[in-house]
Amino acid sequence: MEPIIRMQKVTKTYRGVAAIRDIDFDLQPGEIHALLGENGAGKSTLTKIMAGAVEATSGAMTYLGRKVSFTSPNEALLAGIAMVFQETSLIPSMTVAQNIYLGEEKFLNRLRGIYISAQQFLQSLNFSVEPTALVETLGAAKRQMVEIARAVHHDAKVIIFDEPTATLTPEEKRHFFALLARLKKRGVSIVFISHALEEALTHADRITIMRDGAHVLTAPAGELNRDLVIRSMVGRTLSDTIYNRNRVAADLRKPGEKILSVEDISMGSMVRNNSFSIFTGQITGVFGLIGSGRTETFKIVSGIYKRNFLRGGEIRLGERQIRYYVPREAVQDGIVYVTEDRKSEGFFETMSIAENLMSGLLAADRSGKIGINMRDMRKLAAGWTSRLNIRAINENARVVELSGGNQQKVVIGKGLIQQPRIVIFDEPTRGVDVGAIAEIHQLMTELADQGLAVVMISSYLPEIMSLSDRILVCRQGRIVEEFSPVDATEEKIMYAAVH
Amino acid sequence: MGKGFSVLRADQERIVLIIAAVLFLAAAIFLPGFLEPSNLIAIIRSISVLGILAAGMAIVIIGRGIDLSAVAVMAMSVAWYLQMLGTRSPDWMALLYAVAAVLAIGLINGFLVAYADVPAIFVTLASGSFVFGFVRSQLINQDAIAVPPEHWIERLGRLRIEGIPSEVFIFFGITCIAFIFLRYTKWGRYVYYAGDNPVTARNSGIPVRPMLVLRYIISALTAFIAGLLTASSLLSINTRVVNSTLLYDIILVVVIGGIGLSGGKGSMRNVIVGALLIGIMLNVMTILDIPNIYQNLIKSTILLIAIIIDGLMNPRDEQTAQQGDI
Repeated sequence: MEPIIRMQKVTKTYRGVAAIRDIDFDLQPGEIHALLGENGAGKSTLTKIMAGAVEATSGAMTYLGRKVSFTSPNEALLAGIAMVFQETSLIPSMTVAQNIYLGEEKFLNRLRGIYISAQQFLQSLNFSVEPTALVETLGAAKRQMVEIARAVHHDAKVIIFDEPTATLTPEEKRHFFALLARLKKRGVSIVFISHALEEALTHADRITIMRDGAHVLTAPAGELNRDLVIRSMVGRTLSDTIYNRNRVAADLRKPGEKILSVEDISMGSMVRNNSFSIFTGQITGVFGLIGSGRTETFKIVSGIYKRNFLRGGEIRLGERQIRYYVPREAVQDGIVYVTEDRKSEGFFETMSIAENLMSGLLAADRSGKIGINMRDMRKLAAGWTSRLNIRAINENARVVELSGGNQQKVVIGKGLIQQPRIVIFDEPTRGVDVGAIAEIHQLMTELADQGLAVVMISSYLPEIMSLSDRILVCRQGRIVEEFSPVDATEEKIMYAAVH
Repeated sequence: MGKGFSVLRADQERIVLIIAAVLFLAAAIFLPGFLEPSNLIAIIRSISVLGILAAGMAIVIIGRGIDLSAVAVMAMSVAWYLQMLGTRSPDWMALLYAVAAVLAIGLINGFLVAYADVPAIFVTLASGSFVFGFVRSQLINQDAIAVPPEHWIERLGRLRIEGIPSEVFIFFGITCIAFIFLRYTKWGRYVYYAGDNPVTARNSGIPVRPMLVLRYIISALTAFIAGLLTASSLLSINTRVVNSTLLYDIILVVVIGGIGLSGGKGSMRNVIVGALLIGIMLNVMTILDIPNIYQNLIKSTILLIAIIIDGLMNPRDEQTAQQGDI
C-alpha cells in the first residue's frame, strides 16, 4: 500500500549538532505506529517535522503522494496532520465546545449553536465530554479527548501524540487506547511517542525505534518483544530489566528512627485527615492515582502548601511540632522536595547547570555571611555534576536545552546539595530516558543506604514495587493502606488505590 | 535556537558601546560646542544621574519587577528635605526624616508587591503619584525648591576632583557597590534566581519575598541619591520633573543596555553602556535644539523598538520551552 507519510533521509541540526540524521520513516493509512527511544533519541524532533512545528535541515517528506514541507503547524493542520502535545494547547478558561471550534468562530458567535453541534460531534466520536464544561475543570484524560476531537474536527488524516499516556490513570489509558482503535477504524493514521514499552507492544501495529538521532529498526509489533525493544533502545543488553519484581524480606531495609509523623492533616478538599509516618534509612513508596492528594500532602510537609489553620492536624519532625509557612523553613530543617513539574517549579531554565546547583547551596546557606565564595561553590557544583553524571553539550548550556533525564538530575542535585535528611521525590522518572531512570533509582537506593529518609511518589507500579521498602497507598486525600513489597501485588495496590 | 540569541546578547553590550562611541565622535566633529568643557561636564553629569537611577531600576528589573515610582521618590524626597531646611529642624534631623520617608516608600512598595501580590507596575504607578500628590499638596509650597546658599549640597555640586565633577565618582561608587552586591553576595544572587523563576526560587528555600522588599528599598534609596545630585548641579529641585519623560529615559537605559524585562539576566555593565549611549543622545538632541515634542517622539520610538527586540530575544517561558525541546 502507498504510505500516507514517507520521510526520506530527513536530518535536523541545531547549531551544528544533529538532533536526527538521515531518518527514513513511513506511515501506512489506518495504522497505529509507536515511536520508541530514550529521551534525546530524536522522537520529538521527527514528529515535530511531520507536524510542521520544526523545519527539517535536509531530506524530503511525501504526504499523500505529494512532496511537502510545512513551515508552520497550522499549515500541516490544514493539510490534515494534527499533533497533540504532552502539555495540552487548550484554553483552560473556555468551554469544550469553544475549544473544539477555536479559530473558526463566526463574527457573530452564538454559543448555543456551537454547543449543539459540538454535542452531536462528540457523540459521533463516542466521547463522554460535556461540551459546556470549562476545560480547566476537566481531568487529563478528558482534555486529551477534547484535543483529539479538535484534531478529528479538522478532518485530520494523521494524528501524532507526544507521550499521550504519561498523565493518565490505568483506567484512562484503557479508554485512550480503545479510542485509538476507533480512530483507526475511521481510517485515521496514528503516531504515538511512548516511554511505556508494554503499551506500544500491545496497542501498536508497527513500532519504530530510534537511538541517538538515528533510526534503529521498524517492525510489526507482533515480531518484537520487551527485551529486544530495550536492547535496541539503549544499545546494550540489560541482563535484568530495571524492575526487579521479586522482593524477599531479607532485602528490605529496616526502618531507622521515626523522623516524621503526620497526624490527621487536612487541606481544603485535597488532603483529608491524613496520617502516616516516615522512617530514616529506607525508601517509602507512595502510590496513588492523579488527584489522590499525594503530591499535595508532601507539599504541605515541605512547606510549599499550608495546611488548614484550624483542625489542620499536626506534623512532628522527630519530637518537634512543625508548621511551615515557606519552603525555606523546611529546607533549613533538612526536608527537600523534588518536584514532578520540573519546568515550572524545578529549575531555572535560562541558567547553566552550575548556576542551578549553586541556587540550592545559596538557599540553604545558614552561615549568616552575605558574601559568597564563587570558587568553592563552583567546585561543589562540579562535584555534583560528575557525581550525578549530568551531561550537556557544553558547561554553559542552559538547563532548558538538556534532555529530560539530565534536567531531572539537575533538579535532584539542586536538592541534594542542601544536605537534606528527608528527600521527597515526586515522580522522579517521569519523562526521563531509560538510562537515566536506572541512575536515578541507583541514587535513591544509595541515599536510603546512607540513612536518609527517602520518599518516592510514583504512579508507575513496577517502580513502586521494585524500589520501596514500604508502600503507602493514597486515595481521596489520605493514606488508606500500607503494604510490604514482599506480599504486595500490583493488583492489591491498585485495588486499594481505586476502591 | 536560544543559543544563537545569547551570543547576540553578549554582543549587545559591545554594539551599544560602539554606537555610543560613533555618536560621540560624530557629535564631536559636526556639532560646534559639543566638545566645550562645560558641555562635556554637563554630559557626564547627566549620565551619572541617569546611571544612578538606572542602577536602582536595573536591580528591580533583574528580579522581574519594575519601579515606576523612582522619579517621584527622587524629586519629592529631595524637595521635602530642602523645604524642611528652610523652616525648622537642624540639617541632620531633616535628612533623617527624608531618608526615613524614602525607606518607608520602598518598604511599602515592596510589601505590597511581595506580600499583597499586587503587580509591581500598578503598585509603583500608584505610589509614585501618591508621593507626588501628597508631598506637593501637604509638605511643600512651590514647584521648585532652591538649595540654600553654602549648604553641603551646593558644595558637593561645586566639588571637582582633578577637574572631574563629584557625581562621576558617586556614580562609579554606586555601580561598583551594585556590581559587587549582584555578583558576590548571597542576596545579590537571589535577585537572579527570583527573576528567572520565582516559584522555583521559593521552593528551593530562597527567601523570595523579603528580598523583593529589599530591592524596592534599594531602588528608593538610589532615587534619593540621584535627587540629591540633581539638586547639587541645578542648585534647586523642580518637582515638575515627575511629569517629564525621565522615567522612560531610565527604562530606556536599562533595556538598551541589555537587561531583559523578563528578568534573571543583566549586570551593572549593561547599565553603564546604556547610560553612556542615552546620556550622549539626549545631549546631542539638546544641542541640535530639537523641540521637546520631537525629542519625546524619538525617545519613545527607540524605547518601543528596544522593548520589541527585548521581547524577541528574551521570550517568556512558553516559547523558550518550545525552542529548548530538541
